Amino acid sequence: MDASYEEERPVEEERPPPAGAWSQLTAALVAALLGVAGLIGSWRLGLGRLTEPGPGLWPFVISVVITLLSVVLAIIGRQALDSERFNRASLLVVVAVVTLVLLAVAMPLIGFEIPSLLLTFVWLRFLGKESWRSSIVISVVTVVAFHLLFVTALQIPLPRLV
Amino acid sequence: MDFLNPVLDGFGVVLEPANLLYCLAGVVIGMLIGVLPGLGPAATIAILLPITYGVEPVAAIIMLAGIFYGAQYGGTITSVLLRLPGEASSVVTVFDGYALARQGKAGTALGIAAIGSFIGGTISIIGLSLLAPIVAEVALDFGPPEYAALALLGVLLVATVGRGGKLKSVIAAGIGLLLATVGRDTFTGASRFTFDSLNLADGIDFVPIAMGLFGLGEILYNLEERHTRVQVPAKVANVWPSRSELRQARGAIGRGSVIGFVLGVLPGGGATLSSLVAYAVEKRRAKQPERFGHGAIEGVAAPETANNAAATSSFIPLLTLGIPANATMALMFGALLIQGIPPGPQLVSEHPDLFWGVINSMYVGNVLLLIMSIPLVGVFVKILRIRPAILAPITVLITLLGVYTVNNQVFDIFLVIVFGVVGYLMKKFGFEPGPLVLAFVLGSVLEIAVRQSLLIFEGDVTGFVTRPISGTVLGLLVVVLVLPLVKIVLKRQRRSL
Amino acid sequence: MKSVRVRVCLGLTVAALLAGCGGVKTTSSGGGAEGNYPTGNIQMSVGASPGGSTDLITRAIAEGLGKELGVSVPVVNKPGANGALNAKELQSAPADGYKIAVQNASLFTITPLAVSAAEAVKIDDFDLIGGVSQDDYMLAAHADSGYKTIADLKKAGKTIKYGTTGVGTGAQLASALTFKVAGIPSTDVPFDGGAPAMTALLGRQVDVATFQLGEGIENVKAGKLVPLAVFSGERIKYLPDVPTAKEQGFDVVVSQYRFLTAPKGTPEEVKSKLFDAAKKTFATDAYKKFNEANFLTPIEVPPSEVQKMLGDSTSKYKGQVEQYGIKLGSA
Repeated sequence: MDASYEEERPVEEERPPPAGAWSQLTAALVAALLGVAGLIGSWRLGLGRLTEPGPGLWPFVISVVITLLSVVLAIIGRQALDSERFNRASLLVVVAVVTLVLLAVAMPLIGFEIPSLLLTFVWLRFLGKESWRSSIVISVVTVVAFHLLFVTALQIPLPRLV
Repeated sequence: MDFLNPVLDGFGVVLEPANLLYCLAGVVIGMLIGVLPGLGPAATIAILLPITYGVEPVAAIIMLAGIFYGAQYGGTITSVLLRLPGEASSVVTVFDGYALARQGKAGTALGIAAIGSFIGGTISIIGLSLLAPIVAEVALDFGPPEYAALALLGVLLVATVGRGGKLKSVIAAGIGLLLATVGRDTFTGASRFTFDSLNLADGIDFVPIAMGLFGLGEILYNLEERHTRVQVPAKVANVWPSRSELRQARGAIGRGSVIGFVLGVLPGGGATLSSLVAYAVEKRRAKQPERFGHGAIEGVAAPETANNAAATSSFIPLLTLGIPANATMALMFGALLIQGIPPGPQLVSEHPDLFWGVINSMYVGNVLLLIMSIPLVGVFVKILRIRPAILAPITVLITLLGVYTVNNQVFDIFLVIVFGVVGYLMKKFGFEPGPLVLAFVLGSVLEIAVRQSLLIFEGDVTGFVTRPISGTVLGLLVVVLVLPLVKIVLKRQRRSL
Repeated sequence: MKSVRVRVCLGLTVAALLAGCGGVKTTSSGGGAEGNYPTGNIQMSVGASPGGSTDLITRAIAEGLGKELGVSVPVVNKPGANGALNAKELQSAPADGYKIAVQNASLFTITPLAVSAAEAVKIDDFDLIGGVSQDDYMLAAHADSGYKTIADLKKAGKTIKYGTTGVGTGAQLASALTFKVAGIPSTDVPFDGGAPAMTALLGRQVDVATFQLGEGIENVKAGKLVPLAVFSGERIKYLPDVPTAKEQGFDVVVSQYRFLTAPKGTPEEVKSKLFDAAKKTFATDAYKKFNEANFLTPIEVPPSEVQKMLGDSTSKYKGQVEQYGIKLGSA
């Protein structure tokens, strides 16, 4: 192990406290459910034979692997320390995702400008705790710059007002 | 000396001031486009295609080619700085490139990538000039069974990249393979997991998956982290790689060039596979393989060199066989047709000025890119000085609007959001997105190639082993992946004795 | 405190949504009185990625229409489901002539034979503006194989492996029909498009393959591939020495052709104005050169004829597929 590696390591390892066995179990369960869903879906598509595979054979094989490994993970992986606990700040992520969805819903209806402006503003002012002034200035500048770049320069057919 | 004349004439063509200007315009546009994730070279070339109608054929193709390899350069920048790989071939760069950036060594990563790209590109052009016709013939020996073997090798290598737990990496890779099956089955036309949505009929695009899992997932994760911990301002030091770092990357760049050149010739997924293989080779050769994923210089140098070398050699099938190897080459094919120069086996003999003009323009273009990189790396690294609170919304907007431009569908924005949430949750639960994304890219190649092989072999699976190339690759696969396992088992037994 | 602010802001977003409805454009298309059409930009959408034949044709026409009508004609690529995604979008666009598209015949005549009813599109849901051009298929073998005609394949006395360019394409139908009609035992090896199929044929991974003229003609000229047949009704001027399948005694006539479409209910005068402008474009030297360069045969016929061609081929293909028990896909 060389010296530079030694000093880099701590920066990387700086992660919040591990979430424990339940979170590991949840992760394994979700993966297993996905595998089972894949099993059912591909079974319905038809497996065919090995020499004459149907559309479902390949996804079926993968689903079997996912399911089995997820069960193994549930059994032996519970002690792993690589997951993180959710906390109050995780709610910010929910808010952030809501703003993204609203942008996607609104864009085809009212163009990208207003939703983009609001999204940047909310992220700057409420999620980023920037000052009112800089939030307004930066969001306006960003949207204008995007308009110039995507619409004027690159002529991309984004839904838009102007 | 007959052979050299057209080559020298080619240099004459490139060095005409107008052509130099088109070359410069191409690489500058390409680099800028590469920085905007989602907006790939294919889309840009489509936009610029009408402009080239009125231009001399050689100049037009020189410019379009410049956009293509210029974009490869630009794509690295977002992968390293923002964890946003715009193309499948720069996914591997993310692992160590982004880790380096977090350690304040973004300049080192970008610098080594620029140097590697230059060397890889140049070696590949030399290969292209000398070996194009031979290499093209060899590439034709790669049928479905060979692709199947290579893709299998790739998928198995996938689990070894990144730094998450092995079991979780394999599960993530499995999910990537499953996602690759979404869409209309090439063989039966059956719609798999599309829920009757036409948006999913052609499967899921790479861009929303990669930008969601990597870019958006990381932004959401950092958003939470910012509010739970005191923020350490990002360090931005080492604007250019040091001499010892260059020495460290030397071998990786050399091997990456060769791997990229060879695999890039193969149509479809060659560039991605080459970056993955180059990375895996370096990790295997390294004295401390555990450095990989935590900011190893070779982990940036190898894939970046390889994908640029591959980008260059992907011109070979187009220029010598008339077969476009990827979406961008398909556009080049169209551009050449419109110019009245049908690409095919006779291109070299019928239009030597175009053939050698374009190839030699790549030497010039690569030099231009390297010269541009030196000041630009300094500029781009400054992006990291911007407060995360400001950088995050701008990156989010680029991601959402960029992903829209791929198919001009709002559906893709929803997809990127879904994968962003998945990426965030994966990070919380200790899964790495890398294996998922790479397995996704290689998964459809693998399935299609295996099923085609079965049809060609008429169900006889021994064909995989008896064909020389696929047999060799499979043999290599056994040596590289199974032997270490056997060693571990033997070691354990010895210890228990 | 924070959550209240967030809620206020979300409220603002919704208010802006409601206030801002209407007046959204993607390429600043026009509108207004019918008499002086067009008053704004006309958007042409393409149901395929940039670089393919449909894309190139659309771009060539868009350039001409723009000049003739004095408005700008932006091209938007909406790839997906062999063009069905774009078709469904066009179908629900306002029928005012500001959104039009060049569409493929195979999407309406062949693809429905291979995919589920939910994914199929019907020509009755569109107004036709006029025909554009025909893009022919050829069946080719590697030069070293020694095959020169379809009959040679039969004489080979083995199962012929043929490469096709995907499920529900004309290439698949044409080759499947040929082998059935000729009674040659065969295996269909589907590829994801023309380029991989061509690679496999050049590398002799498959015995023969069917693809569009433009994809393979250069390799024919270079002597690497031998065309066994073309699937057009008559010989093609770009390959005058290659007999049609019909001439060789096999009733297989499959061509890809393209035509201009608009949403159902587009006013007559708008359509005729568009077709007139298209015809003027077709007459230019630049466009004629474009057709030659891409090995396209003009079929610049009025909408009624396109309608007839589509109807004829739909029923013919359907009948043949049933008669010979061919299964193109899961439908």
